[in-house]
Amino acid sequence: MNVRNAARDETGQVSVRLGADRLCKSYGSIEANRDISITVAPGEIHAIVGENGAGKSTLMRMLQGIEQPDSGRIIVDDQVVDLTGPQRAFTLGIGMVHQEFMLAPDLTLLENLVLGDEPVIRALGPASTIDWRSALESGERLARETAAHVDWSRTARNTPVHIQQFVEIIRLLRRGTRILILDEPTAVLAPQQVDDLFALLKKLRDGGTTILFISHKLREVMALADQVTVIRRGEVQYTSPVAETDPDTIAGHMVGGQGVLPESAADAKSRQAVVGDVVLEVSGLTTPIVEKSHPLHGVGFELRKGEIIGLAGVSGNGQNELVECLVGLRPVGGGVVSFAGQDITHMSNQQRRARGMGYISADRRHEGLALEASVEANVIAGSQRKPPISNGGFFNRRAMRRAAEERLSFIGVRHGGLDNAAGDLSGGNQQRLVFAREIASRPSLLIVSQPTRGVDLVGIAAIHGILSDFRRNGGSVLLISEELDEILALSDRILVMADGAIVGETSASDADIGHIGRMMVIQGAGDG
Amino acid sequence: MAEAASIGRSPLMDWFDKGIGLAFPFIVALVVAAVVLLAIGENPLDVFALMFAESFGTQRRIAATLSAATPLLFTGVATAICFRSGVFNVGVEGALVIGGLCAAFIGFTLPAALGLTLIPLAFGFAALVSAIWLLVPGFLLARYEVDEVVSTLMLNFVAFGITGYLVNGPLLSEISGNNVTPLVHEAAQLPRLMPPSTLHTGFLIGVLVVILYGVWARRTPSGFEAALVGQNKRFSSAVGISIPATIILVMVLSGVISGLGGASHALGQLHRFADGFSPGYGFTGMAVALLGRNNAIGIFLGAVLFGALASAGTTVQLFSDIPLDIVNIIEGTVMIFAVVELGRISLKRWRARR
Repeated sequence: MNVRNAARDETGQVSVRLGADRLCKSYGSIEANRDISITVAPGEIHAIVGENGAGKSTLMRMLQGIEQPDSGRIIVDDQVVDLTGPQRAFTLGIGMVHQEFMLAPDLTLLENLVLGDEPVIRALGPASTIDWRSALESGERLARETAAHVDWSRTARNTPVHIQQFVEIIRLLRRGTRILILDEPTAVLAPQQVDDLFALLKKLRDGGTTILFISHKLREVMALADQVTVIRRGEVQYTSPVAETDPDTIAGHMVGGQGVLPESAADAKSRQAVVGDVVLEVSGLTTPIVEKSHPLHGVGFELRKGEIIGLAGVSGNGQNELVECLVGLRPVGGGVVSFAGQDITHMSNQQRRARGMGYISADRRHEGLALEASVEANVIAGSQRKPPISNGGFFNRRAMRRAAEERLSFIGVRHGGLDNAAGDLSGGNQQRLVFAREIASRPSLLIVSQPTRGVDLVGIAAIHGILSDFRRNGGSVLLISEELDEILALSDRILVMADGAIVGETSASDADIGHIGRMMVIQGAGDG
Repeated sequence: MAEAASIGRSPLMDWFDKGIGLAFPFIVALVVAAVVLLAIGENPLDVFALMFAESFGTQRRIAATLSAATPLLFTGVATAICFRSGVFNVGVEGALVIGGLCAAFIGFTLPAALGLTLIPLAFGFAALVSAIWLLVPGFLLARYEVDEVVSTLMLNFVAFGITGYLVNGPLLSEISGNNVTPLVHEAAQLPRLMPPSTLHTGFLIGVLVVILYGVWARRTPSGFEAALVGQNKRFSSAVGISIPATIILVMVLSGVISGLGGASHALGQLHRFADGFSPGYGFTGMAVALLGRNNAIGIFLGAVLFGALASAGTTVQLFSDIPLDIVNIIEGTVMIFAVVELGRISLKRWRARR
């Protein structure tokens, strides 16, 4: 303890403000972090970049003391520390601004500022009086220092998001945070607000605060950070001072080069351009702007019979909205969707399904399956009115069970029993269950979103096999995935989506992973 | 991470769960009642024994219990059919009252010469009007997402107001005392099953409704869809089930059954419509549905249980010093703990909406 205090007294000479030394963390069989080492110098803005699921959040949770590493050490001010919990990290000066702000919506900004650490006039336990004057003074002083304009008497609910974010940051500073962690702070901000935030962060850095900045937008990293570290598949891929690198290099490390299934990727190279009939035609598709959703800006493409189109892109660039428009779960703002030559733009999901559309949802737990319902109900759902499962308005229980067993065994879903809850299955088997249901109705088109998210390697291979077979038998697939490897392994043609629009297209035979990666992350950055 | 939770559940555990679900609120209620009885110096065991004897002791007492259970069979099913789909219809009470008035109206206005056809006419009219009654909040929910708890609750007061006005004004009986309609024709009265008990054929209709509900819920595509919608709306719409159509279907079915229940009570029990037609059958029906976990057998048992409490309550105080209030305490406690289940369902719904 004495040693650490000594080090803290001579802050100026600390060489590592925050460090991770070979941190490892596994959840069951999934290695979320493997030997992660980073060092953040005092007064540095350090960007951590990586795709979704790369392991950034796990690392942040460990640095915050929310989770404990399986092995490895965390260093604060050159000293090894044991972050037993978030409170411990906080007293050491580590504070985090989450993607979802933690302000109480009905309190004023000033009340939020002092919440949990109120200045008091007389310390009388529960009868203490809050010293609002000093609270306001400290708030104004911090706001002045950071050049932010804050109306302290507003409620958080009625405050624009970027001001809420400022208040959140100021609140942490007021309580002694010296190491600020920001989790994708620009996700909710408009471009102008992003500039304001960056100005604030630079000011804080110049004042001696150390900042860890998580992002997958490279333009922002280049504009803000001093140092960048790339994490991919739970490992540090690359680290460099920002001044000595460029977006292309970073993008290359972010998306990686090797596929999970190199042989099928090679197979992709040999594929011919598909010349079948157009099955799905989308043109000028737009959605109205709704809160918390990304609008589409005139999306258009054609999908042919026997073709797999891979739609690449960093998540949150309009993929979910596109999928929901295509399957009929979200009203279309403008544009036309035709399926097998028929305009389906305003048809319901039910009508689209009746015409041969299948849908694998990215949200397996809430949309792909009803986890509390039985395996049987999940695999039959959608066919409950079709013979022989139902006849003359009544179920034929025996036929239903037989159909369920056939569907499940067709693609090898391992389940404990038809009556067990679908939620009892493993992630991979849950996803196979979804495929079993969707394939069973013999669709001509599958809209497949993030099919292997949270699925183990064996499950991934099986699902890729199902999709390849489906295509070989003349089916068409629109495959949306964050896994570039997966898209390369399966697609005939690759579209890149960023900011609600298709920003690039390439055939599988001359797909260049670096090029795709650049389109994904560089064009996706704001108005660029 | 969630894979860790994939522990298989044995059928025995499920069975145990269901049993506890039905028995738990009742056990708690008995404990609370026992405490109250001890406090007023009575022996709880004696009182419970007396209550049991008064509800199931003799053939006549059983008939009284089943008679009291009859309206609850209808309201229990009418509530369960909606709750099962995650639709919080609390307007069964109002629909029952409206149905009762409509059936009575047919029963005393149409010519007596129609004979036995009066009964199906009265039931049909009651079912139709009550179905339209609940179609309104169903449509508002399906089309405009108007909260069904608020709309159906408020419609109850509208129903009380309309029926209250009619029995005090246009439909007031000229020969009877206050606030009742004329008696329905004799041909329109449902036959009694075990005279002199008031148990009438409405009970058989109620049992039939419970059975049909059970068949619908487990054996038909539409019942399957309704249950899926209750379990997961996003999933249901993604597999092509129309949520608005399901909501409207269950609300209309709930209205039909409420209307039949009102008709049965009017034609079988009172033989007219009267102000204070229902002492809260619709609300007790919610407790029945919750207690029975929306399951046909559970609803039957729940209805008989509440019927037993009602029939025991009226006679227990005749034969002992025990106030009727003790029965009300038991009923209230059972309802509170059945509503714990309601809390679980609404928590689930809240999670699903996020």
